[in-house]
Amino acid sequence: MTAETVIATRALSKRYRDVVAVDALELDVRRGEVYGFLGRNGAGKTTTIRMLLGLIRPSGGEVSVLGRRVEPGETRVFARIGYLVESATAYPNLTVRENLEIQRRLTGAPRSAMAEAIERLRLGTYADRVSGKLSLGNRQRLALARALLHAPDVLVLDEPANALDPAGIVEIRELLRELADAHGATVFMSSHILAEVAHLADRIGIIHDGHLIEESTREELAAKARAYVADAFTDAEREQALLTADLERYFLWRTAEGNDDRAGER
Amino acid sequence: MFAQVLATEFLKLRRSKVTWATLVVLSIGPLAVALFMWIVREPGRAAQLGLLGTKANLAGLEATWPAFLSMLSVIVGMGGTLLLTFIVAYVFGREYAEGTAKNMLALPVGRHWFVLAKLVVVAVWWVVLVLVVLAETFVIGALLSLPGFAVGLAVAGARNALLAASIAYLLAPVVAWITEAGRGYMAPLGFAFAMLALGDVFAHTGWAAWFPWSIVPLLIGAVGKPVSSLPAGSYIVIVLTFVAGIAAAIAQLRWADNTQ
Repeated sequence: MTAETVIATRALSKRYRDVVAVDALELDVRRGEVYGFLGRNGAGKTTTIRMLLGLIRPSGGEVSVLGRRVEPGETRVFARIGYLVESATAYPNLTVRENLEIQRRLTGAPRSAMAEAIERLRLGTYADRVSGKLSLGNRQRLALARALLHAPDVLVLDEPANALDPAGIVEIRELLRELADAHGATVFMSSHILAEVAHLADRIGIIHDGHLIEESTREELAAKARAYVADAFTDAEREQALLTADLERYFLWRTAEGNDDRAGER
Repeated sequence: MFAQVLATEFLKLRRSKVTWATLVVLSIGPLAVALFMWIVREPGRAAQLGLLGTKANLAGLEATWPAFLSMLSVIVGMGGTLLLTFIVAYVFGREYAEGTAKNMLALPVGRHWFVLAKLVVVAVWWVVLVLVVLAETFVIGALLSLPGFAVGLAVAGARNALLAASIAYLLAPVVAWITEAGRGYMAPLGFAFAMLALGDVFAHTGWAAWFPWSIVPLLIGAVGKPVSSLPAGSYIVIVLTFVAGIAAAIAQLRWADNTQ
């Protein structure tokens, strides 16, 4: 573990009877970097995140965050960690503001942090709406607002783009990038969508069947992906992939504020 | 920190319909007893209205203050114990049912504070319910002009009901632990009905004073005649159950995997 390491796992394992969910995982996430933790459904991403947050006990190995070993019931380190685990949940009978108030009180964040989080996640219109009546996308925004509320040094985000529309995904991507670049926050985010991670992560780890099977910088991974696609795909398939990317860009532009009428005139 | 946790636990109840629902459910008890007593007292008018005068008479009810106050203990002791289980299941179980446990448990707050704060919320909720039902009982009894009122009788009736309510509350932490372990509402409700049945079994084997879930039925006369006082051993059993329940509920949050 280097001085820069913020999240470290050593031989981290989790077994559920005969099932090995995570096996001898070694991770080093450095200060200020965005680490993409990529894997298919059931690969072990959420189990790893739960161990990072002390929600489940490892069967073997250990986890350290900000130099402090994470152990069951040891909660002091969480004052510096913002998190989103799996689905975005909130107290459905409470408003957005009240849900954030709970987080604010229990993390010791200042009152001003509430307004900042609401504005940052564009929840102003919904601030006094009960969270049970929010759309999935806005519930995800509320979960992210809660994660960011106390200006944590480390963000552990499980599928942060879940339920967001393409514009929302871009917005969150930019927000996380800014947190890492301008505020030095360390972001550990899981996803099962490579494209989502590739836009944002400085380094990417791929977990499969509980094993870390690859760890590369974004550039290294992009080069490997290009080589693989050039080798294994036909021209038509590559053309289709490019078209999909273009369509997504067009959709984002067409639905951006101020562009809703102009496109028809062109 | 405890004050902050407690404040947030009360905040979580805002706009909750469950608080009002429990109040309505428990308040129906004295109203129902009052209705039966009115039928007993006025069988002719009750029959004219199509009410079940004969059945009420067969139930052996007397329309008197002593009878009304003894029913108060049954309402709080038996009905209330089940309702209290529901309240504990709601306060602890909603974190799992609504998927918020994982948010709560990764906060920079000792997990024992959540258990203690939730138990305080349950206690306050329970005290309010019991006091409302007590007040309701005395108001209804006065409106019915029931015979046989005496201050000493009223004090004894209220004391019995409060004692039954207190004992029921001291069993609540075990329900909290079952709720955490079962991660939802079903396990504690199943547990409550199982304990009710087991309490009855123990009562009929002569061990009622020693089994925590048969002590309230013993006190209020749900299994035989009401007892005027419980043996000291019963109080020790109840207090030990309370302490063990709190320890188990804290240990469950602190040590068990929270995979919800």
